[in-house]
Amino acid sequence: MMNWAKESLEKVEASRSFRLDQPAPLPDPSQAESLLKKFHPDYLGHERRLEVGPNAGGQKFPLELAELLEGDSPLEQDYTPQPEIETDVLILGGGGAGATAALALEGSGLSVHLATKLRLGDSNTVMAEGGIQSALGADDSPRRHFADALVGGHGENDPDLLRILCEQGPESIRWLSQLGCLFDQNESGKFSLRSGGGTSIPRVLACRDYTGLEIMRVLKDAVRLTATHILEEHVAMELVDDGKGRVTGAILFNRDTGKKVCVSARAVILATGGSGQIRLQGFPTSNHVGATGDGLVLAYRQGCRLIHLDSYQYHPSGACYPEALAGQLVTEAIRSVGAQVVNAEGIHFIDEMAYRDVLAGAIIKEIAEGRGIKTPHGKTGVWLDTPMVDLKKGAGTLANQFPGLIHRFERYNIDPAKQPVLIYPTLHYQNGGIRVDSECRTDVAGLWACGEVTGGLHGKNRLMGNSLLDITVFGRKSAESVLRNIPERGPVTLTHLKRFRTERSKIEGGTISPKFFPEASKMKLQPTLVEKEKEKEKEEKSPSSNFEPPNPFNF
Amino acid sequence: MVEIKISGKTIQAQVGETVIHALWAAGMAESIKTGCAGGVCGACTVTLRYSDDRTGGTELACMKPVEAGMEVFPCPVEADNPVAPVADPEISTLQSAFPTLNRCTKCGSCTTACPMSIPVMDSVLRMQKGEFLAVAEDFTTCIHCGLCRFVCEDKVKPHNMGLWVRRSLGMSHNPVIERDDKEEDAEKEWQYLLGEDRELRLERARQFRQSGRVEP
Repeated sequence: MMNWAKESLEKVEASRSFRLDQPAPLPDPSQAESLLKKFHPDYLGHERRLEVGPNAGGQKFPLELAELLEGDSPLEQDYTPQPEIETDVLILGGGGAGATAALALEGSGLSVHLATKLRLGDSNTVMAEGGIQSALGADDSPRRHFADALVGGHGENDPDLLRILCEQGPESIRWLSQLGCLFDQNESGKFSLRSGGGTSIPRVLACRDYTGLEIMRVLKDAVRLTATHILEEHVAMELVDDGKGRVTGAILFNRDTGKKVCVSARAVILATGGSGQIRLQGFPTSNHVGATGDGLVLAYRQGCRLIHLDSYQYHPSGACYPEALAGQLVTEAIRSVGAQVVNAEGIHFIDEMAYRDVLAGAIIKEIAEGRGIKTPHGKTGVWLDTPMVDLKKGAGTLANQFPGLIHRFERYNIDPAKQPVLIYPTLHYQNGGIRVDSECRTDVAGLWACGEVTGGLHGKNRLMGNSLLDITVFGRKSAESVLRNIPERGPVTLTHLKRFRTERSKIEGGTISPKFFPEASKMKLQPTLVEKEKEKEKEEKSPSSNFEPPNPFNF
Repeated sequence: MVEIKISGKTIQAQVGETVIHALWAAGMAESIKTGCAGGVCGACTVTLRYSDDRTGGTELACMKPVEAGMEVFPCPVEADNPVAPVADPEISTLQSAFPTLNRCTKCGSCTTACPMSIPVMDSVLRMQKGEFLAVAEDFTTCIHCGLCRFVCEDKVKPHNMGLWVRRSLGMSHNPVIERDDKEEDAEKEWQYLLGEDRELRLERARQFRQSGRVEP
């Protein structure tokens, strides 16, 4: 309902007919740069150089991340790794990139273990809404895709990685389709292509606003049909090495038993995803619960260089109201079909298809200069005028194309087809990450990396639809490279960790990292099953237990 | 602040927050599985009852705002073994993949249990008739929380069948690439775009994206 914003809502409604055919300004390059430098969180100086590890003294890192990268391992000083599981390939991470790698290794004759600290599929992939880019349209080409992404990434993208991404686009869509992904089609049976921020031509395939869900549920189903050994609720605590510079496995923490499990592997693929749950500068995040940057920390201790981690993506349209949805994604695709970004006065202050970082900066500017809308919970945002979609594209378009948006807001008596939704930038994507070559090899032998945990591909600003393509292309690439280059089994030691510990001893204090779970969750590495068993025992002993679960279905 | 109960234990919760966030604040995060906290992974399935006359039922804890007097019970659903999809699906192939297809008694529990408002039971009836395009549409928003399977007395597996139908249809569709990619042009364009210097690359990319070709 949002009666607290009645006055502003009336202004938004009143300006709609004017805004309908009146374009909003698209910032020129110098205006864009000024918006970024003055208002984008990346540019505000909340960063510092590292004192230890391969990036020491080099590029700067956000303060919160720097602390984690310099942190100490949760492993006890006297812990000695004793392999309990022997496998050929250990994949760390159960999101889109890890699942894709597992599928690409199927049938190779190698044994594969996939460990995830939550459940298979619990990842940022499943939360991706807008779509996946691939140059399939008539006037499109992988080169045009490349040009768009390079301009979006401020020219900082690794051109070789980006070329692979764009060239592999059409083949990746074919691969996903053969697995059984259903992308939206038009009347003639061709894929519908949408625009995204920074695409010069419609190039984004989608499954309504559940594209990541569609891809992840198919990948998950397909992986469960392979011979992959899936280790759910297994947290990657540390990587192990052979004492001569090569990664040879990992120490996992089994959350069910509360015990550590040492895995010896000939190759390790790191696919642990992003780090939005670090909540840089206190920003809300659209990321899943596990996105705490664990892979960055583990790889850094092994000696892998990191790149572009001074750059994060603040998605311009995170939900700002209701409070329960704060930070959750409102897909860019809604803007691409006509929803406008409007301030408290009903003014359409910027073209909503500006690059994500520029648009985020522009929204923060409007709020800083007093043209935002304050919620009863004290947050401030601007409007995303969703009813514009139906006005532009015909009644029912919003509900048909964006069922997820409608479903999430209807519980709060907000119908985005009739009322705008309040948005504020949300921490969405880790643009940088582990430096990799065009075969997903890191600086350290035996360790490959793919997906959001890597850096270089997207430069300093990722375009919509390029992360789902990233996990597909490079998930497969990492597997292909492992197949070609897999080393023999090596010994399992903690030599790298010991060296890192010696190096970091010059730092006073410091933290224990990775964090594994969001700070707000207060979750720790502790057995969940054992605790539950104990409680169960207690429960059985006390006859006065008053919490029999309800049985609404006479099951 | 309001009081809610989790498995019989009373905790304080802030009005406006979800059950999951109330659990986090109370230090009880581990009592319910959480994956995305955004309503799409299906990990945090719970049952709940209200203190007044309203009907309780199944919910996703990450999507459910707390209310005074609400009682919440974890209701985790284990993943089921999948069945391989086949291209060009038919009723008979679905039936052999899921032998319980015709056991549906039309009780409607699955539809009631679905946190995504999918017309699950109607869709099971459509599966029996082989109306697979409609079934695929019905299950577009399915998060595979498994509640529809969990509550079925007759071991019907609606969400597994929904995914099987969707995957089977997806496998049957051959993507059409409209683009007419001429090899020699492609290599020339790559050479143009992949200049050594970052500034030059950026400038050429800016030009190239306007028309999709190298302008003379």
